Amino acid sequence: MIVLAQEIFEKTLARLSEQLTTYLPPLLVAVAILSLAYVLARCARWLIAKAFKGIALDRFLRESGVSSLLDPAGHLRGTAVAAAAIYWLILLTGFLAALDVFDTKLSSQIIEATVFLLPKLLTAGLLLLAGFWLAQYLGRSVLVWSVNEGIPHSRKLAGGVRMAVAFVAVVVAADVLNFARDVFLAAFVIFAGGAVLAASLALGLGGRDAVRRQLHGREHLSEETPEKSAWSHL
Amino acid sequence: MPDRELPEKAQRAIELIRQADIVIGIPSYNNARTIGHVVQAAHAGLAKYFPQFTGAIINSDGGSTDGTQEAVLSSRLEERQLLLLTTPLTGVHRLSFPYHGVPGKGSAFRLILQMARSLKAKACAVVDSDLRSITPEWIDLLVRPVLHAGFDFVAPYYHRHKYDGTITNSIVYPLTRALYGQRLRQPIGGDFGLSDRLIERYLARGGWETDVARYGIDIWMTTIAVAEGFRICQSFLGAKLHDAKDPAADLSAMLHQVVGSVFALMQEYDKVWRAQQGSEPVDLFGFRYDVGLDPIEVNVDRMLAAFLRGCRELAGIWSLALAPETLAGIQRAAGVATALPDQFHLDDELWVRIVYDLACAHKRMPFERGHLLRSLTPLYLGRVASFVIETRELYAAQVEDRIERLCLTFENLKPYLLASWDEKPVTASSPAAPSAGEAREAVEARSEV
Repeated sequence: MIVLAQEIFEKTLARLSEQLTTYLPPLLVAVAILSLAYVLARCARWLIAKAFKGIALDRFLRESGVSSLLDPAGHLRGTAVAAAAIYWLILLTGFLAALDVFDTKLSSQIIEATVFLLPKLLTAGLLLLAGFWLAQYLGRSVLVWSVNEGIPHSRKLAGGVRMAVAFVAVVVAADVLNFARDVFLAAFVIFAGGAVLAASLALGLGGRDAVRRQLHGREHLSEETPEKSAWSHL
Repeated sequence: MPDRELPEKAQRAIELIRQADIVIGIPSYNNARTIGHVVQAAHAGLAKYFPQFTGAIINSDGGSTDGTQEAVLSSRLEERQLLLLTTPLTGVHRLSFPYHGVPGKGSAFRLILQMARSLKAKACAVVDSDLRSITPEWIDLLVRPVLHAGFDFVAPYYHRHKYDGTITNSIVYPLTRALYGQRLRQPIGGDFGLSDRLIERYLARGGWETDVARYGIDIWMTTIAVAEGFRICQSFLGAKLHDAKDPAADLSAMLHQVVGSVFALMQEYDKVWRAQQGSEPVDLFGFRYDVGLDPIEVNVDRMLAAFLRGCRELAGIWSLALAPETLAGIQRAAGVATALPDQFHLDDELWVRIVYDLACAHKRMPFERGHLLRSLTPLYLGRVASFVIETRELYAAQVEDRIERLCLTFENLKPYLLASWDEKPVTASSPAAPSAGEAREAVEARSEV
């Protein structure tokens, strides 16, 4: 009995020792890599924050309106964003390098998937950012123009333009990510078709109205056209 | 030697004429109705006041379809009707060319200035083609200070209806005066006298394809002359009566181009204006007299409606540029406009803060410039409505005092502009605008001087 127990204990010890000799060194290396990556990431973040503080990036983000787009309160700083991006990129690289140490099928799959997906994610992110910025810009343009022209429901009109442009950006980003491509594409086609139909109806109705006013004579037309100032502003 | 950038037809004309001491430039676009009178006045002015000089009248046209160019070339002047004491040594050349480039007054001016340089002109005057009140004396008053008194830039000084030139009265004159310290009453009058030195400077500068090519040209020329230390003066030209330029059709674009040019030049001449305090009068030539002016109908209700629409819809865009207290002031004024339209009032200090905040935002947010400048339209209409309500019963001289008060507010709030410009927090110690009483006293004191 004692012999059997001793045998089991020895086998267990041997197995444990084998596992330790198999997995501990890579684990230690992985931990070391992660720690190094963490230290590097912290250093890089600190350096970027110090070196680029207050320079063109902050100004560009503020002037372009990207800051207010991402953070309406206006506290966003470009340097902080860049530093955080570098920090997470180094940490991610460290994490992938640490995974690679184990050289297992699962770790290889994770690394492959990440390396394959990361550029697409970045592209999609940038597309979304650019699309939302453009949506905001065009929305404002339409709002100011329609208010100055005295067109009713200016804000709704501007909101519609903003949504349309943002929706196009989402469709393009989904296409890049290959995510529910058909669903987004179908939605986009329906949306674009609806917009064209609405515009055609509006033009048709407006045209009919214009023709009717023409037929009624110019005196009726002049009643509805906006009055022009009789003085020079300059 | 003709300028290579000039159209071929213009180059050929220069080779033929070779030289002209005085060039009168007339930019035009579909002004067949009035341009004949302007050309005749310019011709008579040259013949009567400068018979010893060679002269050329150059029309720079923007592709008119109503026969403007033909009107220029066919207009005839009977010199015997002028009772000239001295017979002109040479005839006056009359030329008309279409200009190239961005359509607008600035591009037309560019061609005129290039021609003046190629013709080695000692002086050049530019006058609008829609003028109905121009006389031969205008040419004398715009050219003589350049030829005989060594001035580089002669700005016009007119009598105008109290509601005429509202962009000038409410923004451009007070702002340029507060910035550069020179009381040029009509900085964007459109009729100027220029020396060869200044023409050379204008042509040497870039930026002709920006807003300068359009309505921004007048303030661009004035600001360069003032900020770069050229000798400037004003000439009293009497009344300014002209065809309406269909302003309401494109008020937003006009504001964008004029105010955008002022703001852009503020950034360029930052070092010049930040040191300037107060303002001083500018030499004024010509014999001053009172004139009758065309009555002007103003629709206050329409302007108030535009202002209120802006307050409802554009507060989000205004908040990008305006300080919270400025925005709150506008909303308070909008409340009054809704409840008691007859008592609506957008006071001077609030208006000045709006303009200064926008100027700073124009510098700070280049991507949003277009939106901010165009969103100024309802605010401007609100200000004009307030001005009309306030001055309805006032005479021209009283209205001028009112404008003087606004100018003083612009000058007194300059520290606020400087603080915002440098993006420093505006402290409570920033000087406030003068009260109505203080400003009135200052105006009276100045009038006495």
